Amino acid sequence: MSALTPIAWIVAGYALLVAVAAGLGVVLKAPRPRWLDQLAWMLEILSAVLVAGALGSLAQGNRPDSLSTHLGYLAAAVVIVPVALTTVRDDRGSWSSGVIAVAALATGVIAVRILMTR
Amino acid sequence: MSEPTTSPPTTRRPATGRSGPHLVLLALYALFILASGSRAIVQIATKFHVAPVAYLLSAVAACTYVAGWFAIRRAAQGRPAFARVMLWVELGGVVVIGTLSLVVRSWFPDDSVWSDYGKGYGWVPAALPILGLLWLHRSPRAADHG
Repeated sequence: MSALTPIAWIVAGYALLVAVAAGLGVVLKAPRPRWLDQLAWMLEILSAVLVAGALGSLAQGNRPDSLSTHLGYLAAAVVIVPVALTTVRDDRGSWSSGVIAVAALATGVIAVRILMTR
Repeated sequence: MSEPTTSPPTTRRPATGRSGPHLVLLALYALFILASGSRAIVQIATKFHVAPVAYLLSAVAACTYVAGWFAIRRAAQGRPAFARVMLWVELGGVVVIGTLSLVVRSWFPDDSVWSDYGKGYGWVPAALPILGLLWLHRSPRAADHG
């Protein structure tokens, strides 16, 4: 098991946590709290660590079956959360938390897919 | 001396719907544009001969999601006519292609986005147009116009 595996599962688990917190915000119809943004940015940092590890693995000569697919997942892992946060930057309504939930869930799924395609 | 301010025109544009369930729908559509679009591009570019029908249908799905994203956005601005058509087209696509993938297996040596009704994506492709239609039905802004 490489070091990438625990990092990917940490990202996936943390992403699920962020998605649940954001989903609760929608269910409770609460305005999006600042700390949810901070949780999302923390997810972004974890994803960046995962991507850096995956790129390091590629640099060491490990070649996935489909390099283009793997690289696509790596790019998506670091792009989705910032795009989601930017989209709802001026909107603190409860439904904006739903956008964060979708982005977090997608990032978690992508973290697992990075493991599967490496 | 300051110029007298002119009053705004009485015919106002419909509200742009900054917040609401459509934000989540737009996020999901954007995600599926990314997922199905990049999938189709990679598959068509690298192994088109393996399953041409499936890969072309993935590209069609990606185009449908682009149109669906614009349709939801327009509906949130009070112009639901395009969404009323587009969401039914998308649902029809998922049902027809999902059924074909189960009945005519030889056409699908590899999966398309809508194979098995979107099983590869947790059946979200099948749920998405239904959620969109429900939103369209329940949204007062969408129901009042078009």
